[in-house]
Amino acid sequence: MKTSRWWTVAGIVIVLYSLFPLVWMLSLSMKPPSDIVSRQPQFLPTSWSFDNFREVFSQSLFTRALINSIGIALISTVIAVIVAMFAAYAIARLDFRGKRLLLSLALGIAMFPQAALVGPLFNMWRGLGIYDTWLGLIIPYLTFALPLSIWTMSAFFRQIPWEMEQAAQVDGATAWQAFRKVIVPLAAPGVFTTAILTFFFCWNDFLFAISLTSTDAARTVPAALAFFQGASQFESPVPYIMAASVVVTIPVVILVLIFQRRIVAGLTSGAVKG
Amino acid sequence: MAEITMKNIVKRDDDGFLAVDNVNLDVADGEFMILVGPSGCGKSTLLRMIVGLEDITGGDMLIGGTRVNDKAPRDRKLAMVFQNYALYPHLSVFENIAFPLRLHGKMSDEEIRTRVQEAAQTLELTEHLDRKPSQLSGGQRQRVAMGRAIVRNADAFLFDEPLSNLDAKLRGQMRGEILRLQRRLGVTTVYVTHDQTEAMTLGDRVAVLRRGVLQQVASPRELYEQPVNLFVAGFIGSPPMNFVPAQLENGALRLPFADVPVPDGLQAAFTDRDVLIAGIRPGSFEDASLVDPSKIDKGVTFDVTVDVIEWLGNEQYAFVPYEAPDDITATLNELQADLDSEQMRLQMTVSLDPLSRISDGETVTLWLDTSRIHLFDPKTGENLTRVATATVN
Repeated sequence: MKTSRWWTVAGIVIVLYSLFPLVWMLSLSMKPPSDIVSRQPQFLPTSWSFDNFREVFSQSLFTRALINSIGIALISTVIAVIVAMFAAYAIARLDFRGKRLLLSLALGIAMFPQAALVGPLFNMWRGLGIYDTWLGLIIPYLTFALPLSIWTMSAFFRQIPWEMEQAAQVDGATAWQAFRKVIVPLAAPGVFTTAILTFFFCWNDFLFAISLTSTDAARTVPAALAFFQGASQFESPVPYIMAASVVVTIPVVILVLIFQRRIVAGLTSGAVKG
Repeated sequence: MAEITMKNIVKRDDDGFLAVDNVNLDVADGEFMILVGPSGCGKSTLLRMIVGLEDITGGDMLIGGTRVNDKAPRDRKLAMVFQNYALYPHLSVFENIAFPLRLHGKMSDEEIRTRVQEAAQTLELTEHLDRKPSQLSGGQRQRVAMGRAIVRNADAFLFDEPLSNLDAKLRGQMRGEILRLQRRLGVTTVYVTHDQTEAMTLGDRVAVLRRGVLQQVASPRELYEQPVNLFVAGFIGSPPMNFVPAQLENGALRLPFADVPVPDGLQAAFTDRDVLIAGIRPGSFEDASLVDPSKIDKGVTFDVTVDVIEWLGNEQYAFVPYEAPDDITATLNELQADLDSEQMRLQMTVSLDPLSRISDGETVTLWLDTSRIHLFDPKTGENLTRVATATVN
């Protein structure tokens, strides 16, 4: 009994520690700008208000960025999931030369330091004319999201017993019918988990977003946050930045809470079987 | 309806292992054929070659007279029941059974419903049609798998150890169900099992395989009474046949516990070897005091010390230790390894009348029916008594 109580205490301490920045962010987003520069800083706002949110949404800097974020993340996710689904199926089911090479290459790409790519990409993208476009962000996102998606999904495909597909074949299905009518529905949780993980990756990315964009045309929210300014030169932009942060954090938190179990199942199955 | 013909079927795995070696087997139209053998004997591989899930390395596979070697599984018109049932977990029982019908795409919803209902009725699944496979018991899942097979008028049914995931009681019931269903539909059936009870009770004929080689194809009764070799003799029958060394001395066959007369026509078998292996079924023995006096002269009586007694109510087994020369012991150990079991010690199993009041460690007089002794060549494993009877006939 005693040890379990200590575990609870330790757990609470860790949760508080990791929740603190989030609560601080929430509190800042509710504070009037004057609170930030006051001489007696305090944790909670002196007066609660949603003015910061209203202000943030009135700026095209933020609304454009929000549209860019949603669009780029959704398109990248859809493409990544579809491509990864076929790739993962091939890896899980078919025997072909260079399969191990392909898998280790995919892993290698996932491990590659992204910062090292930013410089060359910047130059290439300008040359190709896709600098500061949606496409210019979607391509690197796909590059880094695909390996993870393929690994996670092939772990899911591997869990589906071979007999399912063989039964379908004996029942008279073509390979495509067996894939569509039996394998895909069974792998749906895996597809779903992969989609969420990919979406988070694209949604949260800052490095590519700040380096490969220059205007509203493709700048996503994490990058746009740095461009917020106060109402006057002497007013701190911090509350606005925090309000915008809260807005982009909310969908992530909601998604995680709803699909918590599936994500955990997806991550662990990838860990054990992958 | 179709007959299945296998001509010189060979399966060599990618790593060069010969899984199925030159099998010739005819399954007649409407016949219930059992493929049986210990694990790794190639029986499942053979079945999967029939259905097309495994490539055929060599030989011809004919179904209904057409060569199907290069046909995809969906073009072979066969239905298969898998060991783990392979039900589609995301579909209801109705949709599971309707799955093969829907794939053809030419059938109206009305027709599909009628046929699924019909199959469900046959298998008593009507009230479960809306449920998902995960909500069903093992026996019900098994029946759904069979429903998927019978719904589409396949040319033949293939079963891959369908009962091995069920508990003993249910297995007995389902065995009866499968037999009744097969008899009623009269569809050619190939059934793989490692369970010899299933093999003996279900099959019109039984094919025994060992290390990819077909040993004997015969009716269950013939397998039991006239096994071709040591392997078949040891595999069929429960408790298994006893194997003891048999030496020819002064015109009599010397077993570790008694001398018995040499069976007619077998004197010649001893000319080039001095020791044979005698195979005696546990049921060939009896407590001498309970044997009918008119019968007692047809066998021999002898005294042995019983090690342990197992009394099961309707039957009783006594275990009698014996000695054997090293080379015979080696042959027997190898045989046990082939049969998936281990010979812990050299002992005979004797089946006794449950009325017999023998206890552990006691010395008793047993009677042995000498006409039921089989003699095997220790080198080749060939059954010499079977050859002898064949030549006499």
